[in-house]
Amino acid sequence: MYRIVIDRSLCSGFGSCAELAPDVFEVDAEGLVALRTGTSADPGVLDAADACPMAAISVVEVDAA
Amino acid sequence: MSDPTFWLLARASGLTAYTLLTLVVLAGLVVKAKPLAAVRPAAAVDVHRFLTTLAIGAVALHAATLVLDSRVHIGPRALLVPGAAPYRPLATGAGVVAMELMLLVAISFPLRRRIGVRAWRRLHWTTYGIFALATAHGLFAGTDAARPWALDLYLGAVGAVASVAAWRALVPPRLHHGRST
Repeated sequence: MYRIVIDRSLCSGFGSCAELAPDVFEVDAEGLVALRTGTSADPGVLDAADACPMAAISVVEVDAA
Repeated sequence: MSDPTFWLLARASGLTAYTLLTLVVLAGLVVKAKPLAAVRPAAAVDVHRFLTTLAIGAVALHAATLVLDSRVHIGPRALLVPGAAPYRPLATGAGVVAMELMLLVAISFPLRRRIGVRAWRRLHWTTYGIFALATAHGLFAGTDAARPWALDLYLGAVGAVASVAAWRALVPPRLHHGRST
């Protein structure tokens, strides 16, 4: 299980994360990325964090319990 | 014969600025086009911003040395007003407009939240125009433009930017590069 945090002050709305993990990230009305959910089991969130041009996404692996 | 130091510096810094601008555009394209799977977009952004600072420094040196040099008559007004320079006004004006747009795009980065990130990214499309203007400026105002090595530089720069831009337009970004299992 992964816990996901976005630093919205860094987000510049590239949307790469929403392309890679659309169940977790979405682009909001301002053009910035918002989280649909704070945790996910999808390892695609790691790719999404890597793909962020502003390094605004942190992912921490947590116990499923 | 007047001291050629500033004149030589002006030519060298102009070619340096053009080379750096080319690298800025290429690094920027890498962020979205992802031609190299091993390069993290965040690292490409860091390189892109660092090169932008260097490029603006080279443009500033180019402008300052042209004013200080006594061979060409370029004053502070000709640096800011396109076409105000007596020497090849169209080609030097292209350089002035490229410089002003370059500063505008650079200043928009810290202001991107204020102007809105969508507007900021739209403004970034201007960089293709800046690169085209800088190329025209170098080719038609540059003292060294007719030399084979300078022509090779311009051809290489335009070829590299056109290739990576075409890559961006035609090749879809890699989704799930290898960690999706």
